[in-house]
Amino acid sequence: MSAILEMRDVSFAIEQPYECELSGFSLRLEPGELCLIAPPPGRFATPIADLSCGIVEPEQGVVVFDGVEWPARSPLAASAARGRVGRVFERSGWLSNLDMDENITLAQRYHLHREPEDALQEAQALATELGLGELPQGRPAHVGREELLKAQWVRALLGKPMLLLLERPLRDLAPAEGAPFVRAVNRLREREGSAVIWITGTFDRMEDSALRPTRKCAMEGGALRDLVEL
Amino acid sequence: MKLVSGIGAWVVRRVASLSRLIAVAWTVVVSAVQPRFWPVPARNVLARQILFTGFEASRFISLISLMVGIAVVVQAQVALAKVGQSGLLGPILVMVIIREVGPLLTNFIVIGRSGTAMTTELANMKVNGEVALLDAQGLDPFVYLVMPRVLGAAISIFCLTIIFIAVSFVSGFVFGLLLGANTGNPGMFIRSIFGALTKADVFNLLIKAFVPGLLMGSICCVEGLSVGGAVTEVPQAATRAVMRSTAALFITSALVSLVTYL
Repeated sequence: MSAILEMRDVSFAIEQPYECELSGFSLRLEPGELCLIAPPPGRFATPIADLSCGIVEPEQGVVVFDGVEWPARSPLAASAARGRVGRVFERSGWLSNLDMDENITLAQRYHLHREPEDALQEAQALATELGLGELPQGRPAHVGREELLKAQWVRALLGKPMLLLLERPLRDLAPAEGAPFVRAVNRLREREGSAVIWITGTFDRMEDSALRPTRKCAMEGGALRDLVEL
Repeated sequence: MKLVSGIGAWVVRRVASLSRLIAVAWTVVVSAVQPRFWPVPARNVLARQILFTGFEASRFISLISLMVGIAVVVQAQVALAKVGQSGLLGPILVMVIIREVGPLLTNFIVIGRSGTAMTTELANMKVNGEVALLDAQGLDPFVYLVMPRVLGAAISIFCLTIIFIAVSFVSGFVFGLLLGANTGNPGMFIRSIFGALTKADVFNLLIKAFVPGLLMGSICCVEGLSVGGAVTEVPQAATRAVMRSTAALFITSALVSLVTYL
């Protein structure tokens, strides 16, 4: 089966603000697979996600998404490919000069030329399913952290992405609130064959059996070390 | 030797900066005529830019042009009537208002009002990681942030220049009438202006009303997006954008005048 995302012997280092070093990092995700990754304590998840969607280029090695290496795509093709990636960001996930509904549907309207009403209808259904209730209104600055995080989930799941990148996606939520998100991820994997990278901050989350990860690993010395044979 | 290498380095930097600016402005023009670069969100940004830079500035521009009309047009009418040269009213108004003052003042006002706002907004977006966020969602920052802003600014300045010229002529004529200047009837006044207009004037107006706006938008976007990660860089970028936009405005204006009339 062809991989949705493949990183081969990737090495790169980023200084501030992320301070991340990868060395000989390899990862292969086929449709429906989920990889749980725990970066070293205090380190950001963003560099791995940026690497996965071609925002940063590795110093060595290759990152292949949907059969094509990121640098082999033209800027426009790379942008279009990123439109098939859903993402929950660890830092600054919103455009401050757009209302929440515009923010949530922005990528869908840009890439898929969806009507706002159509995208909002799907977003509202996801919001209800994830326990957010009504979609938040107004500018992001006036919305609470927990609601913002849930709204990020709605945006990430909108349009059934091929690859889902989750950077500490449950960080502001109580453990009991995690179930609908796990269910949504599993359904996306099963029905749409999406691949998922779930970067977690705590090992408790990693031991959540409901997620059914296909790979579970910690980052040590810039490489991935499998924690459990699955 | 050190002085020569210093001058050389300065020239190289200036040329590199200028070619980057021209490349951005040219890419905006080339991209703007291709429908594939106009997804709905980019069109929304264009509409908002025209609303902010054009529509919302129209009252202020009208006020300024009203004052210019009173000051320049009425003075010209009175002075020319005194020396019995009322027939020169059209050529003088075309030379002063249409060729120079209209485009210059409009551009100048928009640089101060919208150029700084554009630079500050983009610089803040860069500092807050919002540009990286767009990139991560596959929204090309050039298509979503730069192209609609530059084009919106250029279209707005073009329209505001036309408003400026129209309001200054109308206000000048009306106030001249009220002050008892020898204005003649409106038809004569309009004919004297249109009679003095040449093809070169129209060309000059089109270029001066559109190109500096294009350059101003490009400069403001480039400066805004060139900040690093510190908030303290934002006001510096805004200052640089205003200085460079003003320089670009006067240089373009002078060059166009030279090319058109000499």
